[in-house]
Amino acid sequence: MLRIFRGLDWILLAGLLCLATLGMLVLYAAVHQGDTGLWYKQATYWGVGMAVFLTLCFTPLRLLGLACWPIYGSVLLLLMLVPLIGDVHMGARRWLDLGVANIQPSEIMKWALIFVLANWFASREARGGIEIIIPLLLAAVPAALIVIQPDLGTTLVLIFAAAAMMIAAGLPWRLLALASAAAVASLPVLWHFMHQYQRQRVLTLLDPQSDPLGAGYHVIQSTIAIGSGGLLGKGFLQGTQDRLHFLPEQHTDFIFSVLAEEGGLIAVTLLLALYALLIYRILMIAHRAHNRFGSMLCIGVAAIFTLYITVNIGMVSGLFPVVGLPLPFISYGGSALVTMLGALGLVMRVAIESRENIPWQRPGSPLA
Amino acid sequence: MHNKQLEIRHRFDVRMLIFYAAVPLLLGLLLFQIMRLQWFDHEKYMLQSEQNRLNLVPVLPVRGEIIDRHGKKLAINRIAYRVSLIPERIEHPDEILDVLAGMLAWSPEQQARIRKRILHARRPDRPVLVDDKLQWQEVAPLTARLHHLPGVNVTAGSFRQYPYAELTSHLIGYLSLARERDIDAGYLPSEFIGRTGVERSFESTLHGRPGHQREEVDSRGRRVAVLKRTPPIMGRQLQLALDVDVQQAASDALGKRTGAVVVMDVHNGAIIAMLSKPGYDTNRFITGLESEQWQAWLNNPEKPLLNRATQAAYPPASTFKLVTGMAGLQHGARLARGSTFCPGYLQFADRKLRCWKRTGHGKMTLHSALVQSCDVYFYELGDQLGMAAISDEAHEWGLGEKTGIDLPPEARGIIPTHRPYMMAAIKNSQTKRKKWFRGETMITAIGQGALTATPLQIARLAAAIANGGDILKPQILAGQPAEIIHHVNIRRQDLRRIQQAMRGVVTEAHGTARRTLSHAAWSAAGKTGTAQVIKMSQHDHKKLSRTELLRRNRDHAWFMGYAPYKNPQIAIAVFVEHGGHGGSAAGPVAAAVINAMAAKQPVMAAR
Repeated sequence: MLRIFRGLDWILLAGLLCLATLGMLVLYAAVHQGDTGLWYKQATYWGVGMAVFLTLCFTPLRLLGLACWPIYGSVLLLLMLVPLIGDVHMGARRWLDLGVANIQPSEIMKWALIFVLANWFASREARGGIEIIIPLLLAAVPAALIVIQPDLGTTLVLIFAAAAMMIAAGLPWRLLALASAAAVASLPVLWHFMHQYQRQRVLTLLDPQSDPLGAGYHVIQSTIAIGSGGLLGKGFLQGTQDRLHFLPEQHTDFIFSVLAEEGGLIAVTLLLALYALLIYRILMIAHRAHNRFGSMLCIGVAAIFTLYITVNIGMVSGLFPVVGLPLPFISYGGSALVTMLGALGLVMRVAIESRENIPWQRPGSPLA
Repeated sequence: MHNKQLEIRHRFDVRMLIFYAAVPLLLGLLLFQIMRLQWFDHEKYMLQSEQNRLNLVPVLPVRGEIIDRHGKKLAINRIAYRVSLIPERIEHPDEILDVLAGMLAWSPEQQARIRKRILHARRPDRPVLVDDKLQWQEVAPLTARLHHLPGVNVTAGSFRQYPYAELTSHLIGYLSLARERDIDAGYLPSEFIGRTGVERSFESTLHGRPGHQREEVDSRGRRVAVLKRTPPIMGRQLQLALDVDVQQAASDALGKRTGAVVVMDVHNGAIIAMLSKPGYDTNRFITGLESEQWQAWLNNPEKPLLNRATQAAYPPASTFKLVTGMAGLQHGARLARGSTFCPGYLQFADRKLRCWKRTGHGKMTLHSALVQSCDVYFYELGDQLGMAAISDEAHEWGLGEKTGIDLPPEARGIIPTHRPYMMAAIKNSQTKRKKWFRGETMITAIGQGALTATPLQIARLAAAIANGGDILKPQILAGQPAEIIHHVNIRRQDLRRIQQAMRGVVTEAHGTARRTLSHAAWSAAGKTGTAQVIKMSQHDHKKLSRTELLRRNRDHAWFMGYAPYKNPQIAIAVFVEHGGHGGSAAGPVAAAVINAMAAKQPVMAAR
């Protein structure tokens, strides 16, 4: 038990607690005039999420390694059911009614994919042939199923996480270059499959002022919020853009603009520093991990976090099109928070197992 | 094997290094973008956020009410709802207008007009008034849907109502919505501005000054908080010298005839009544007059928009004989102290100048000539005086001069002089002769010819005769001190002769107003006038019906005078367009005015 505490990454934990504090403060600012019940709900989610985090800290990775294929297989099955019996919400068919709960198989697929890829690369590199084709298929099949839902954000997560893990696993550079070229070449095809609202988002990004009250409205208002915050911000609870409801979805996807308006560049820098710390610690754990499965898992997690942060902040500040990805640990939302804390729990478990002298593990051997 | 392990380890290290480098690059890109917004472009976004949330909303003042001398309300404000919209906030004007048109029952023309106003608004950030004078039942369904109609506002406000509408139309005037010119002058687009009459003359007093409040609004434009409020300065109440009951009496007496009545306080020039007929319904201006109605008024041959009391000048006819008579006394003309014989005409060179009484008046003195309104006597008196003396006397008594009443525009009237170049300036003078003929002086002496005066000028003349020669500025407001523009230096006994003659007009057996005014509640003095109408041209004939033609060729009727005789209170001028004979057409109107005054001040009747 004590050995576990010895193995905990205290810096990562401290960073996480800072993010939790900051997140709850910003969420309070975003909802204090509206539904304050959301704040208490989010506090509860933190509690649940930390429980999951701790549980996973005590769960041997080996079990996950065993479970990853069945998990992946069943989620893929559910994903294939979605187009057939899924529920439509806001123009997209993403939800599956399992009788007891509505779930989004695509949300679980992100994590299932990194488990199964981590497991695949735990004992091999990605140098060519079957080593690459199998992981490509593992990522491409669910990505194709998700993109037709349509859910661009999640598809992006799958591609990005798979790419990061393959690069970590030693994908030859020329293949990466080839894949990049193919990706660029496939953009028109992607455009063809894109939903009208997504095309509109891309077009609006290029010129938000062209539709100031329509699709451009969100981006214009969030950039006004961020820009008007200035260096020091308007002060806690003093943001006018969010207080007067100029900001859309200010407690979920656009919560960053609340932080930027009220806290200014100082708060933004603090947040980015905390994120940098978080990702660095995860990467360092990945680098130092005693087994390759753990390394790959950490890299997958780091990739997802990095993508979330980049896409979300880039979106609200007008750098990228509007793609609905949450801001990790800040945006309101139970399932996203609990799964991300769970992912961090896994990372922490990797750290712990790298410190512990665990019998089934051969230290110093990247390929188990 | 070991080398293979090392190679894999090394490759992994390199890949990790790439990740280590990629993370700060990505986060740095984000930080750079945020710095761009928050640091470099901060000012711009700060301004935008302020514009987002702050709204400067005008708070309109309540216009001052107008009451008459007894406190009766002439112009009041009623609560009503108005719909305005901010063009800038409206994305699809046509859709919004369709919705509003359906809810507020606009006609297609009305909608088209409103659409034009919105699309051509000079300040699209300011609310534009689209409908007004609505009752709560009419706006209730709209208010329920306001959140679907961003940029549309329903506000409670006051609108002007004129309880006496047509009776006071020319004196009180009307309001209309601010035009571009007014907006440039600092009015708000939703403000109403006095256009004519008292509403225009005393606009600054009545209007007040709008205040404003700085409001914080949310993303839907709804008010969240009032940050700063500058209250409006309310318009002040205006009490007029007018007695609306006297005005009503005059109007009733005039009936459907066209004409004007002016009743003036002889002491201070206060306008007790000022009526012009026909009137028009000033209440119709408030909602933005239908253009057909406006055109109908403009094209109406009766010219309802014209204030005949001040803006129209007519030949004063025999009422002018008073001026000629006074000129005779002032200049010591032989005839003024003597007499002449009226055979019914005056032989002058090869022409016969006729008296209105073809059979002749017989021997005429100044007194009897005024009482019976003998033309021949005044032809001769005028001839003895010469045009310059008559003209000077007329100006002395305020004719040919603007009265200075606060009711612009005002007609000046024409007093011809013997100087030929003046003639050229007279409009409608068909022959612009260079020379002045003696005959013209004689025509002018009886109040015909090129001579014209407004009823207000004639009323002021009557007041001056009554008060001993003070030419007063007509006062529209109550409680104003007398403003003597000019005092006529006339000998007391001379003025007395004129006053006695005017009394004789009412009391003596041959007095031209005896029948109509001798039984008035107050003892009156006065002078009648019957202005010959220039016969209409053949061209104009064709457009009119026979009865209308007969009416049109009838003479204009005048009565001017004052009452009570011993203790003068009011001066009256009555003008009836195509009324016929002065005594019988205009006299009864004056009698009605006197009776109305007497009913208000029974004490005076005893004197």
